[in-house]
Amino acid sequence: MLNIPGYSARTCEGPTRRELMRIGSLGLAGLHLPGFFMSQKAALANEVAKKYAGARGFGNAKNVIMIFLQGGPSHIDIWDPKPDAPSNIRGEFKPIKTKIPGTFIGEHMPMMANTMDKVTLIRSMSYTPNGLFNHTAAIYQMLTGYPPDKVSPSGQLEPPNAADFPTAGSHVSKLKPLTDAMLPFIELPRPLQESGIIGKGGAAGFLGKAYDPYRLYQDPAEKVTLEDLSLRKEIPANRLKDRFDLLKGINGSMPELEKALNASAVDEYYGKAYDLVLSGKARDAMDLSKETAAMRERYGQHTFGQSVLMARRLIEAGTRFVQVNWPSVANGDPEKTAWDTHAANFGPLKNLHCPKLDRALSALLQDMDERGLLKETLVVAVGEFGRSPRMGLSTSGNVNSPDGRDHWPYCYSSVIAGAGIARGMQYGESDATASSPKEKPVHPNDLLATIYYALGIDPEMEIRNHLNQPRELVKGKIVSDLFA
Amino acid sequence: MRPLLILASLAVVASAQNVTFLRDVAPILNKAGCTSGPCHGAAKGKNGFKLSLRGYDPQYDYEALLYDLSGRRFNRSEPKRSLMLAKPVMQVAHGGGLRFEQTSEYYKTIERWIAQGVPYGDPAKDTVAAIEVEPKELAMPKPGESAQVKVMARFADGQTRDVTKEATIESNVPDLAKVDASAKVDGLRIGEATLLVRYQGKFSTIPVTILNPKTGFVWKPLPQHSYIDQHIDAKLQKLKLQPSPVTDDASFLRRVTLDLSGALPTPDEVRAFLADPAPQRLKRSRKIDKLIASPAYADQWTVKWGDLLQSSRKFLGEKGTYGFREWIHSSIAANKPYDKMVRELLTSRGSSYDDPAANYFRTTREPKPTMEKTTQVFLGVRMVCAQCHDHPFEKWTQNQYYQMSAFFSAVGLRPGYEVGEEIIYDQRADYEMKHPKDSRVMAPEFLIASATPVKIPTDQRRRDALADWLVSKQNPFFAKAIANRVWSYFFGKGIIDPVDDIRASNPPVNPQLLEALTKDLIDHNFDLQHLMRTIVNSRAYQASFLTNEWNTGDAENFSHAIPRRLSSEQLADAVTMAAGAKPNFPEVPEDTSASQLPDPHVGKDGFLDLFGRPNRESACECERRTDFSLPQALNLVNGTTISDAVADPKGRVAKLVLAGKADQAIIEDLYLATLSRFPTKQEADNGIKYLAGGARATRAQDLLWALLNSKGFLYSY
Repeated sequence: MLNIPGYSARTCEGPTRRELMRIGSLGLAGLHLPGFFMSQKAALANEVAKKYAGARGFGNAKNVIMIFLQGGPSHIDIWDPKPDAPSNIRGEFKPIKTKIPGTFIGEHMPMMANTMDKVTLIRSMSYTPNGLFNHTAAIYQMLTGYPPDKVSPSGQLEPPNAADFPTAGSHVSKLKPLTDAMLPFIELPRPLQESGIIGKGGAAGFLGKAYDPYRLYQDPAEKVTLEDLSLRKEIPANRLKDRFDLLKGINGSMPELEKALNASAVDEYYGKAYDLVLSGKARDAMDLSKETAAMRERYGQHTFGQSVLMARRLIEAGTRFVQVNWPSVANGDPEKTAWDTHAANFGPLKNLHCPKLDRALSALLQDMDERGLLKETLVVAVGEFGRSPRMGLSTSGNVNSPDGRDHWPYCYSSVIAGAGIARGMQYGESDATASSPKEKPVHPNDLLATIYYALGIDPEMEIRNHLNQPRELVKGKIVSDLFA
Repeated sequence: MRPLLILASLAVVASAQNVTFLRDVAPILNKAGCTSGPCHGAAKGKNGFKLSLRGYDPQYDYEALLYDLSGRRFNRSEPKRSLMLAKPVMQVAHGGGLRFEQTSEYYKTIERWIAQGVPYGDPAKDTVAAIEVEPKELAMPKPGESAQVKVMARFADGQTRDVTKEATIESNVPDLAKVDASAKVDGLRIGEATLLVRYQGKFSTIPVTILNPKTGFVWKPLPQHSYIDQHIDAKLQKLKLQPSPVTDDASFLRRVTLDLSGALPTPDEVRAFLADPAPQRLKRSRKIDKLIASPAYADQWTVKWGDLLQSSRKFLGEKGTYGFREWIHSSIAANKPYDKMVRELLTSRGSSYDDPAANYFRTTREPKPTMEKTTQVFLGVRMVCAQCHDHPFEKWTQNQYYQMSAFFSAVGLRPGYEVGEEIIYDQRADYEMKHPKDSRVMAPEFLIASATPVKIPTDQRRRDALADWLVSKQNPFFAKAIANRVWSYFFGKGIIDPVDDIRASNPPVNPQLLEALTKDLIDHNFDLQHLMRTIVNSRAYQASFLTNEWNTGDAENFSHAIPRRLSSEQLADAVTMAAGAKPNFPEVPEDTSASQLPDPHVGKDGFLDLFGRPNRESACECERRTDFSLPQALNLVNGTTISDAVADPKGRVAKLVLAGKADQAIIEDLYLATLSRFPTKQEADNGIKYLAGGARATRAQDLLWALLNSKGFLYSY
């Protein structure tokens, strides 16, 4: 057996976890990218820093929690009430005061009303899609920054493929790689979905599967099992260490091959995998039993609330980008908490959706703020579109009940907070019926550009697709006025 | 047609010495980046102003400048107040930032142009006919030197002009040869690069060679097995690169078995090969013949062609996929001449069940994607860029895109009589290909004129003429593309690379070698087995990955082998074989190996996809990935694939331990099964010591686990 430098003799209990960790991260990951690549990267980072030197909010964010409300929440009933609009527009809900003076939101969001002093409410999200857009096309637009190239007449899309534009989290985990052994990009509780199309707009596309999100695919409100992140029963920590010692010896006996593969980063990934399994960092972060009952209650005892709580734990553990998808399928049944309220709007919003969103989002913002995490974490809550201000109107070819609302990308709202985003601000305003922005429209691409910018990534940077054609990271304007 | 009238009158006004759009202004728009992809050259323009990509359509750009915004871009009485000048110098807000200074020559030229009444120029005089570069090639005796490139444009009227400043010059290896804005080239390290020079739709290339200044190089000739080694040596000698000699028998066996049959040699095969006393070249050549004749050979290459032809139930249904796979498999097993195989695909008709080759048309379905696939797979040419604009780095035009697509415009698909069956037929009406701009009918036309004059039929049988032209021995692309592609499968990269992006601006690293391979293939009537046999018998293929002081930095000229990660199917099958486990894929008969799966539907989202198996969504080689990532490492370290295989109660370790084999024998067998070689004395001693440290079965599993995770296993070298 080979000696590990710096490793003292074993005790009866075997090596400590800390000692094992050191083997993983130093012993195997001792090799680094050749200096050339490093210096090139550093030079590029310098250039970007220079370009945005002194710009408000640039590089403030370390991490992102993206709360993606797939299905299309009704902005007029939740975030942007219009009490003076005709009854077939204003709907059943009353506006309530918030902590932003003069800004009212829907009455079923009382906890958020009380938390608005921590966020900026954008009321002028807006875009005009080409042709008929359904959920997946809109989700793709929202999260990749590009309109999909193949949309069927019904607005349905093809399943994800290797030519797709990458989703924001994939770009971020590639452009801002983690140095610690942790999963960089996690999607909770399950992938995006419309009908049978799973994960479109939520995958790494032409960046390659290495940058796909780690998908939990389980319900955090139930017991979560993480076999791939846990030590296997028959392989306790000692045995895994033995195996890595052996592996190191075998690799070491072919030094020429080691040298020839110097730049392949195999050691780096093995070291991280070892640390990840052994440290249990990701596994612990996803173990909600480590939270008090009161804390779990605070976020809401349901899939969405517990997913949001898990997101906070993952950020604490060092994950770069956590995306929490609204747990229902985008075009699901509104009576079962899908935001897609064609057939029924007010009852489900009042009894099912709003209470969950209200509790979980307000809890997250307050909890993160108390822990100081909001300073460096950007939190965004948005759907792929809003809903038609006029009830019973068909905009998507779907049938709507008289009190139902259809898809509406022309004007909707989003909530953004943390990483220097202004606290207690309303940005943009909609017209009298919440049908179009009256001022300061924010395109989904502008929102993406602002997220990249907050992370210190130049939104104008060039990327290369699968055919090595140059493309822009995103074609959007940075909304620097969102920052305090 | 007001615009045309004005254009015509402007053209008359413009005289040669005057400033014209064509000759003077359009190049500025390109050089300043206005027409670039991220700026106004984007498909939808930028902030409401669109120019053609890299200025390929000057007339379009001229009209955009003139007539968009009702001509507000120009103030002819006060040129300086024109938007076209105020924007790029940031006198008014410009999303693209400062493009040039008010004091620059560019500014003055545009100012004069506006003052002269924005003349377009005369295409018969002001168009660039050709560019000439000086020097034609660059050779530097050592890194650290620099040289100046000069670019001259010759216009249609015979005048010439120095356009060095306006031309775009890019290096394909910028960390080897760097070009700055003034066209100065800095040689940074030893090796070769190509500079691509572009100016107004014309381009030229300059090869750059930076020699090794070290003295004392003495060429030590190694045996040359065939013309391959002669051509490679000729280049290596020039570049002072001493090639590596052939690798040892064990590594050769591992490498060639993986490459030809997709599998690892079994421990018995390794033992037998190492013990074979025949002379080295003879025994290797015999082994090659045996591998090519093996059933695994057909499986391995069926995966490859299944990828390229996108054999997948997503397009073909389950029965269709099995049918197409069977057609591919039997074509390969029978060594059907490649030209015959391609002709069968392109001319297939009738039921997809009766003639499985007709599935070729069912994956892409429409004329344009079928044309893109056909040119990319069989000619190595990417036409996709030319759908929307003339190809930026090639001579292919948008018109040619539609002329080539016209060969497939009459292909019809309709449901057949059985479930999932489709009939491929020739449509009788309404099958013409139309240009998207003006809907004019585009008659079919070959990408490159046929060597012998051919009358291309315009009726619905036109694709037969395409097949004749495409697979012809005279077609300059067909044989070259496949020779280069096959080469890449054995060396990890093509002589032209990427293999499906052949263009004048992407030259081969060794043109003589590629030419010779192409000729050999043609002389042997497109016998791919002959081509492969020739390649793997060469010294270059059999070279060691170990380098010497001269060739250590070389990754381009095939002076030594370069380790390659096993492909996803190879890796899955290698783990199974080495651990003595059985493959276990859903929906297929027991014992079906990864290389025998019909399509990517089987085992979707599992180990194979994680390690880069392509989804068969495109015909691009790039869809298969061989990179390494954290999720892969997690899977190998802690996933079920390796952990279960090593602990298989009927697996290799269990059998060895149950049979009561001695430690030395166990360790030997595990090394032979994974690294395809005997352990060294040191390795065996370490292993024996480890086995003694605990329960034998458990310890042996650990050893196998470590071997399966080692680089010596994950890579071919």
